[in-house]
Amino acid sequence: MTERDLVKVADLSRTFDVSRPWLNRVIERREKEFLKAVQNVSFSISKGETFALVGESGSGKSTVAKMVVGLLAASGGNIVIDGVDLGDKKHRARFGALRKRIQMIFQDPFASLNPRWRVGRIIAEPIWAFEKGLSQDGVDGRVGELLSLVGLDPRDAGKFPHEFSGGQRQRICIARALASKPDFIVCDEPTSALDVSVQAQILNLMRDLQDEFGLTYLFISHNLAVVRHMAKRIGVMYLGSLVEVASPRDLFATPKHPYTRMLLDAVPDLEMTGRERMPVLGEIPNPIHPPSGCAFHPRCPFANDRCRAEKPGIHEAAGILTACHAVEEGRI
Amino acid sequence: MSVQETPLPPVAAAPPGTERGSLVARILDSDIYYSFRKSKVTMAAGAITLVYFLGALLAPWIAPHNPYDLATLNILDSYLPPAWLEGGDPRYLLGTDDQGRDVVSAILYGSRLSLAIGFAGVAFAAVLGIGLGLLSGYAGGLTDTIIMRVADVQLTFPAILIALLIDGTVRGLFGNLSREDTAFWVLTFSIGLSFWVQYARTVRSSTLVEKNKEYVQAARLIGISPIVIMVRHVLPNVMGPVLVIATINLALAIITEATLSFLGVGIPSTQPSLGTLIRIGQDFLFSGEWWITIFPGAALAILVLAVNLLGDWLRDALNPKLR
Amino acid sequence: MTEPVLSVRDLQVEFPTRRGNLRAIDGVSFDIAQGEVLGVVGESGAGKSITGSAIVGLLDPPGRICGGEIRLRGERIDTLAGEAMRRVRGKRIGMIFQDPLTSLNPLYTIGRQLTETIITHLPMSMQQARDRAVQLLEEVGIPGAASRIEAYPHQFSGGMRQRVVIALALAAEPELVIADEPTTALDVSVQAQIIAVLKRLCDERGVAVMLITHDMGVIAETADRVAVMYSGRLAEIGPVREVVKRPHHPYTSGLMGSIPTIEGRAERLVQISGSMPRLDAIPDGCAFHPRCERAFARCHVERPVPESVERSQVACWLYDEETRTLKAAP
Repeated sequence: MTERDLVKVADLSRTFDVSRPWLNRVIERREKEFLKAVQNVSFSISKGETFALVGESGSGKSTVAKMVVGLLAASGGNIVIDGVDLGDKKHRARFGALRKRIQMIFQDPFASLNPRWRVGRIIAEPIWAFEKGLSQDGVDGRVGELLSLVGLDPRDAGKFPHEFSGGQRQRICIARALASKPDFIVCDEPTSALDVSVQAQILNLMRDLQDEFGLTYLFISHNLAVVRHMAKRIGVMYLGSLVEVASPRDLFATPKHPYTRMLLDAVPDLEMTGRERMPVLGEIPNPIHPPSGCAFHPRCPFANDRCRAEKPGIHEAAGILTACHAVEEGRI
Repeated sequence: MSVQETPLPPVAAAPPGTERGSLVARILDSDIYYSFRKSKVTMAAGAITLVYFLGALLAPWIAPHNPYDLATLNILDSYLPPAWLEGGDPRYLLGTDDQGRDVVSAILYGSRLSLAIGFAGVAFAAVLGIGLGLLSGYAGGLTDTIIMRVADVQLTFPAILIALLIDGTVRGLFGNLSREDTAFWVLTFSIGLSFWVQYARTVRSSTLVEKNKEYVQAARLIGISPIVIMVRHVLPNVMGPVLVIATINLALAIITEATLSFLGVGIPSTQPSLGTLIRIGQDFLFSGEWWITIFPGAALAILVLAVNLLGDWLRDALNPKLR
Repeated sequence: MTEPVLSVRDLQVEFPTRRGNLRAIDGVSFDIAQGEVLGVVGESGAGKSITGSAIVGLLDPPGRICGGEIRLRGERIDTLAGEAMRRVRGKRIGMIFQDPLTSLNPLYTIGRQLTETIITHLPMSMQQARDRAVQLLEEVGIPGAASRIEAYPHQFSGGMRQRVVIALALAAEPELVIADEPTTALDVSVQAQIIAVLKRLCDERGVAVMLITHDMGVIAETADRVAVMYSGRLAEIGPVREVVKRPHHPYTSGLMGSIPTIEGRAERLVQISGSMPRLDAIPDGCAFHPRCERAFARCHVERPVPESVERSQVACWLYDEETRTLKAAP
């Protein structure tokens, strides 16, 4: 772990027990079923950088996000933030201080704000939780500052969430996230539910805030173009595992993993370059019964017997991490 | 990956200018008040209920006599028919009962008791039901299972059985207390215990939905304790249907109290509620003194009807799909 | 030139509320020719879905068409009453909605839903209809169609379900297909497959398609022409290459500039300040003028009339003859 790593995640896993109830299992003679949502995911994020996790449904990226902030317990592996191991009981005492420095921005701007609370109270909640000594005026002042920071009017503090549009609500979420003066913000598809022009506003705002406050972002998205715009390093996930980690330039110019290539080819051609594209094969398999060996092999044009039998490990070359036998063997 | 909810047509949104107005201004301009004014039946029901409330509240001042004060009763005035019939006395507009109590005053004081017990019973049921529903929905797991099974068992007991049970228990435990003292609480508990399940179930399903919403997760993220989250965040958002249930329950509670009193396990006849009055009068129905039972019966029926209509309106008004 | 399959002229849709009539669509006109894919693009609240609903007569009450005409191959359909409209809707216009989960009845097998649609609108025997259903499923790319026909919707994945929905829409051999956000709820890789299927099938059958979406990428891939909607009005309509690469209307160029691309051309995304006006607060003149950097006096008062610019029609005063001669260059 380098000095500059704020977040280091190692071998993170999460398995859900999705078995039918005991009685049903006995009567129907079924086995217990497990969903391996996340399997041995490792990455690190330097201070002030944006690391993106990209993937489609079932990739596990949202589950990773929830584990990193502590909303979901990990089944395996560990998460170390600024030297504090989140899973380690001995570090419990330092937990409290750490909580204040980690925040999250969610996908749905409509469900992220309590419809019965006024905006000012929503933004003030983290302030009250972490800074006990402030007076009401002090808190109000801070709330007003935060609202201005995200491009809203301080007087909006008296309004209710339903009086705002989706983009404005997301700004309020950002203001709430900034209220506790965090270092690290996990953004779970923050612009997926927004219109394109509003998305542009929010993404620009997030970058400006990052520059101003030196924030570190873990940015989750399914949209490759957005991720290209925001991230310094991108991790591609498929069915619970990381398949490739690279810088945007490397990832988009010379994608290594077959899934990354397929994903890039599937993105609609807005520039209308008429570029050559590989047709997309098959669909994402059921995560409860994943394919043997490499999870991508049924859809991979380069799969061989080894791919069907053995799950690939992470292999590094020139700063790019890939989990693919074909790449490792130099076949592609 | 859903498209943003379209902002039109803004049926439920506040119109520009009243967003931060006073509470009264917001209520008067709201869609709910508008639908209230539109329906003549609802306005009538509302007016009748209001009259009952006021009558019950101000009974000590507006009733011509005090039917509970034994000193003012004159046994010679008993069995008097309503004022417009032959033999009637203008002092006792709707006649008197077997003990010389004025029926009008008895109805006023009786409504008072009936409404009081109705409210208390509903309040108890609501608090118990909301509390258990919230706990059940938020905690999940074993707590949820236990509470829901208790609820299922609860539903198999009719209110009357519960009342008898509690009545008997109280009598056994506190045999020295008089019926007057215990009746109110016995009834409140019985009604409360009979009706809490409805609240619990509704609140529980709403809680299950709200618990997964991001604003609850945001609160968990900053370390707010589960109890605080339940009360401060989730509770205000699951209260919606509770109001409708409570209104309709009120009617049911009043009827239940009347039934229990009628059967003799409710309010004793020394300080009768509407139900007790009906019971008392029933004995004289066929001997010709019909007014002793008919008038309290009519009063009860009208009250319950009005409250029911209000509840119906409220349910429709609050239902976003029907707006 | 053959008659267009769909012809919409000056469509007006309003929603009467107790606070007044809200004009959701205000004077929209366009044609769709046979075999052509017209993309209708816009952000939330622009009115694109309402346009689709109005055409098939499925507006949510109290919404109603209060002006203009809609013609299907020359015949007016906006004035048709319930039963007549129902026949048109099933047979001549096919619909594809956003959510494949709710578009299919979970209680019936897809075979039954398909054959039911076919039999209702085409003169065929049950066996013929079944054969045709299997054929359709094969065409949309469902593997093992002959056996899958007995499956229930929940046994398919999202992408497969949407293919079934496409098959259903084409089952009665419609002349026009209206697809409302057909790929929004799907993953990117599945989206690509669905677009390809839709395009191929409609090409083969010469079906006109009205593709409603907020995703410009899908439009660029699929559409021949595109109409850009804003606040219930048409800002611009023209060939897709032109609108996407050389947009004329300031809103369209703002929109294109705000979309991040995987080629990553821009350091900072173009940002249009503010947001689309609420229906009860549409400004006078051009609806976009409060957010437009190039607005001038006329834009505040007069609503722009569509002008021909290159091969597009643009509703913007910058392109008016007068303005063009007055200003050196827009």
